This record gives sequence, structure tokens and C-alpha cells, in this order.
Amino acid sequence: MTTDSAHAPAQPRTAESGARPADSRRTGGPRPRRRNRDTVAGYVFLSPWLLGFVGLTLGPMLASLYLAFTDYNLFTAPEWTGLENLTRMAEDEKFWSSVRITLIYVLVGTPIKLAAALAVAMLLNYKARGTGFFRSAFYAPSLIGASVSIAIVWRAMFSTDGPVDGTLNFFGINLGGWIGNPSLIMPMMILLAVWQFGAPMVIFLAGLKGVPAELYEAASVDGAKPWRKFLSVTVPMLSPVIFFNLLLEMINAFQVFASAYIIGSGTGGPGGATNFYTVYLYTRAFANNQMGYASAMAWVLLLAVGVLAFILFRTSRSWVHYAGDSK
Amino acid sequence: MFRTLSRRTLTGVAALAATGLVLTGCGGGGGEPAALDTEEQITLNYTFWGNDDRAARYDKAIAAFEEKFPNITINDTFTDYPSYWEKRQTEAAGGGLPDVMQFDYTYLRQYGDNGLLLDLEEYFGNGITTDAIDESLLSTGKLEDGTFAIPTGYSAWSVFQNPALLATAGVEPYEGGTSWDDYNAYMASVTEASGGTVYGGTDTTQRIQDFELKLRQEGRQLFTEDGELNFTQEELAEHWKEGQENRDKVTVPQSKLEEISPVSGFGGNLTTSEMSWSNFLGGYLGDSGAEEITIVAPPTDNPDEKDLYQKVGLMQAASASTEHPEAAAAFVDFLINSPEVGGIFGATLGIPASETQLEGANLEGPDKAVKDYLDSIEDRMGDAPAAPVAGFGAIEQTFWDLGKSIGLGSVTPEDAARQFFDEASVTLGS
Repeated sequence: MTTDSAHAPAQPRTAESGARPADSRRTGGPRPRRRNRDTVAGYVFLSPWLLGFVGLTLGPMLASLYLAFTDYNLFTAPEWTGLENLTRMAEDEKFWSSVRITLIYVLVGTPIKLAAALAVAMLLNYKARGTGFFRSAFYAPSLIGASVSIAIVWRAMFSTDGPVDGTLNFFGINLGGWIGNPSLIMPMMILLAVWQFGAPMVIFLAGLKGVPAELYEAASVDGAKPWRKFLSVTVPMLSPVIFFNLLLEMINAFQVFASAYIIGSGTGGPGGATNFYTVYLYTRAFANNQMGYASAMAWVLLLAVGVLAFILFRTSRSWVHYAGDSK
Repeated sequence: MFRTLSRRTLTGVAALAATGLVLTGCGGGGGEPAALDTEEQITLNYTFWGNDDRAARYDKAIAAFEEKFPNITINDTFTDYPSYWEKRQTEAAGGGLPDVMQFDYTYLRQYGDNGLLLDLEEYFGNGITTDAIDESLLSTGKLEDGTFAIPTGYSAWSVFQNPALLATAGVEPYEGGTSWDDYNAYMASVTEASGGTVYGGTDTTQRIQDFELKLRQEGRQLFTEDGELNFTQEELAEHWKEGQENRDKVTVPQSKLEEISPVSGFGGNLTTSEMSWSNFLGGYLGDSGAEEITIVAPPTDNPDEKDLYQKVGLMQAASASTEHPEAAAAFVDFLINSPEVGGIFGATLGIPASETQLEGANLEGPDKAVKDYLDSIEDRMGDAPAAPVAGFGAIEQTFWDLGKSIGLGSVTPEDAARQFFDEASVTLGS
């Protein structure tokens, strides 16, 4: 009874809104007004986010677009300089070195991270004791990985005579500390990124659950070996998920900042080897007071990532297969 | 468009509003700033750069101030030097500088000339006592529009040594003030004797102060009177190259320094000596945990040249946009003049600029050593260079970053010199 009475008042409403699409198309009477009210309510509920978006994202973005064409030192009014920031960028060695460092990080780090995520996801896809525990355990680093404290811990781990150096010494590999070595800092940064494979792993795992078992059975009947099954069943069926993860991780990797900033002591050290794009942008903006130049750099990054994402989307047509596609 | 005009206007409005509140009770006060209200509850934000040692001293000084002015509460924060200025820069742009700040001579022009700092001159004799401050030191805070900062004290470039580390290496300390060959030999003997666990020193060509010392020993300066670089790209490359032999065999490897940053090699007990400003003594004692640290004069090949100078480093300044300028002035005055603060800080903010504070400091132990050192180099003290050009902070940092990169072998001295000149032309040109 109680459930009935609770539902009762709601009923006419449900009926009404259920009928609405057809109704409003037929008559222009009182329905649209109600729809307007809904729209208003919708925006009212949206407003906290909308205010934040306009005030904290859109506004600053437009301001930085303007500043990108100025010389602005934070202390005096910005001076319009047209395209000067861009021409300077083209000749700026440190800028190009930051581009190179960031590209290496993205192009090497992202595939390794995704491969690790997929491999572990496939292992965890088997029904075995304790998979729940391992799923959480592997996922955990991706929750805390980008934090300042983890970067500090990694600094300590990879220092001279730190745990990593000590272990390698035990096996007769004498590399010394990684933190102060310009050629080892990048592998370390990539390791730090790969270690956070939990987030794409969880998405892969969900994707793997969605691959119909009968496809594997059919493949087995045809005599396919595990590797063949992986290439011909798993990868094509998983391709939308791979695409999604690739896109997301690539965009994230371009924006790496906190860990690079902490590990490189905020100056891109050692020897400029952690001078990632975002770190350089930050240095220009806040250490050198060149806010105009930094704004231009921010927009170049946005455009570059946009173009790369666009290319990825275009190529995806040839390798991403959606279930039910005729291809 | 964003700052100059609207900031000034805003500051004006804020000041008007604040004054309005104060004046409602008492009617017009002429041009004189209002006296400090002892009833109103006031909270001031204060910020400084430094390490734990300095933070502990500031805690004591702030407690003493709050005891004297029970209605004023000081909220303090601190960071290391580079991020300190990154934060201030952002706050300056956003109009939210802390009420009172530990300041640096290097940045005075940039902030003072842009109307971001409170003109403390308005409070001279009316909240800030200047009688006890050495005139030449006080004038360092003066720009065209007023006095925007007051130096806490002065220091000079010096060589620090750690006797305990030296003893384990079994090497006699460097006596100070002798030739560069002597100092290099000393560094080499430490590194050799310890078998690579402790080094004799840090690359003596890495920092812009190293280069300045060398130029001054040749009777030259870093900058021309017009604020241009007073040396050539080739000379700079040559300077960095001179350090190569030491970097290869003697001085602490840069890779080890990167690992312990922001602590220096000397602070981290990796080296038995390091060159720095004499007021670093307190920080070094804190960082290294050493019982004793000695201080001697830097090496020179031209003892007659006046290569050293009284360096004003740390200053105290207030924000132009503070809502409580009287309270801010009172706090600055306390930090500069109070004998109690002198006793707390000793010589760690430089030898106190104010006589009253110097007396209160009652220098002893390591602080006395700093004072004795400064007295001992009287003969080598020349005129201080002109106030740093706007952007000197960035130039100084670029020089050091490049010096470190050379140490890591990731850039050649020639390339580094070229990059330095490119950077400097952008910074100084704009």
C-alpha cells in the first residue's frame, strides 16, 4: 500500500512526460512552456558547473589567447606584439628541446604503459583466487601516482645508494643514482608513468569481459593458438577500448607536470633533461615573468594535441572495429 | 590593461575604504598615516624563504612581536628561494601579495618600480625608527618614488669550511685570501685524501657570483652603468672552461648535487668547503648538523683589487595593497630594530643593519665569526655594484642552471655562453 501511495502522485507526471515528445510536436499549446521551464531548471542545476567553467576555464582561456600575442611581464600592462612570440618560439632552442623531451615521453611511455595495462588486464581476466585483490592493488598506483608525495618518494628511491641503485649494484649493474643523471632521468620518468597503468587496465578489463566467449571457442575449433587468438579475436574486439585508452593516455602524457617539476627540482634539472613542455611553460610564466610567451606556448600545445587527436581519429577508421560493423 | 592602472586604482580604493573606517571616529588626519590602532584585531600575512633553522627563528621572533602587540596576529609561511619568487610573481599579478615579506635586493626594482610595495618612508619616525640604521644600508632600499624595503643586514662573499669533515679527511683547512692555485690545491687534496667520499668543494665557476668575483678581481663589474652586460660571450665561455679541470677530478659531481637539491653540497656534508654569502652560516649549520663551521676570505690573485663588497641581501618589505599599513610598518620596524630579534637571528640575516639590533644580537660563537670575518676583509671591500637591474633574478637563475648543465656534461661552455646571452638579451631587452 505504502509503495502504491508513494507512486501515485508521480503517475500523472510520468504519463505526461512520456507522451510529451509526440504531443509537443503535434500542438504548439501549453507544452513548450513546460519544456521551457524544464530547460530553465536544467540550467539552474547546471549553473554551479557553468559558473566555474565560464569563470575559471573559459575566461582565463580567452585571456591567455589575448596574452599569447603580447609581451606581458605580470607587472606592467601587456604590450601587443603580434606574432613575435611565435617567431621567437621557432628559434628558441630550449623550446625545441622541451618538445623533443615531451614527444619521447609520450611516444615511448604511452605504448609501454598501454601494453602493460593490457597484459595485466588479460592476466586478471582469468577467474582465479584473489583477482579482486590484485585488481585493486594494481589500480592503486594510478590514484596516487601523479601526486607530489609519490614524486618525492621516487626521487629518494632512484638516488645514489637508494633502493634501486642498491638492488642494481647487487646484480653487478653499476649505474649510480638516476636522479642526477641526465640520460637516466627519462627512463625513470617513463617507469613512473608505466607504473600507473591501473586506470587503463580497469578499462581494458571491462572491454575484455565484453568479448563474446563463443569467438574464442570458434577460434579454438579452427585450431588457433593463444597468440593467434589474441591477434585475431582479442585485439580487433578490443580496438574501440584500445583507441579510447590511447587517446586519453596520450593527451594525459602531454600534460605531465607535477612529477617532472618535483623530480627536476622545478628547474628542468638535471641538465635540462626534465624540461618537459609544461615545465618550460611554467618556468617562462612564473620564474621568468614572460606570461605572453607562456600563453603562446599553451595555445601551441593545445593546437598540437588537437591535431594529433584529429589524426588519431582519422586513422582509427582503418583499425578500430565496432561490434556490429559491417567491416 | 590588467595591472598598472586597475591595481593602483584598486589599491587606492582599498586604502580609502580602510582609512575611511579608521577616520570615521576621528575626522580628517591630514597627510599623516593613521597611528596604529591597538584595539582592533589585526591579522597580517608574512612570508619568507629559508630552511627549518630560519623558520624556527622566525617563530620565536613572531611570538615576541605578538606579545608586544597582542591585537596583531602574524600568519607566516615559507618555501625555498626559487619557488618563493614564483609564488610572489603570481600574487603580484593577482593583487594578493602578503602584507609583509622577506625581500631580496635582486627583486627590489621589479616590485618597487611597479607600485607593488608600500612606501615605508611615510612611516619613518612614525612607526619605523631609522636612527639606528646605517645610512648607506638604508639607502639601498630607496628608489625614485620612495623607500620600499629595509635591509636586515649585510654580508660578503666568503669561503665556508667544515672542520669535522676536514679532520676525517686529514687535510689542513684552507687559510683564506691566498691564491686560486692554493685553493684549488686544497680542494684537490681533500678529494684525493678521502678517496671520493668527500670532496674539497663545489665548482667555483658555476654561479654568477663566482664570475662577478673574478671580474672584480680584474677591476671590472658584471654590468655597465646602463645595466648592460659588461663582458663578452667568449669571456663567459672561457670562464666556464676554466672550471673544467676541477669538475673532472676535484669538485663534487653535479649529479650528486641534483639528488640532494635544494640542500647544497656543503649543507649535505658532501664537501669540506663552499663559497657563498656570509649570512648562509646559520643555514649551513642547520642543514649539515655540523658542530662548527669556519669562514675565511675567498682566494684572489690580485690582493690589492677591491673585489669584495658589502652585499645587502635580505630586506623586509610590505605590500602596497595591505589593509593594515600601520601594523605592517610596526612589524617591519620590529624585525629590523628590535634587540630581541637580533638575539634570535644573530648574523643569519646578515650582520644587523640596525645598531640597536646589533647590540641585542650580542654576537657570539659562529655569528661572532661572521662579524670577525667581515672586519678582517676590510681591505678588500670595494664599492657595491649599482642596484640590480630588473630581471636580474631571472638572469642569476639562468646562469646557475647553465653552470649546472655544464657540470652534468649536457652542454658545452661555448653553447652555454651563447644560451646565456640569448636569454639575457630577452630579459634585459624588454
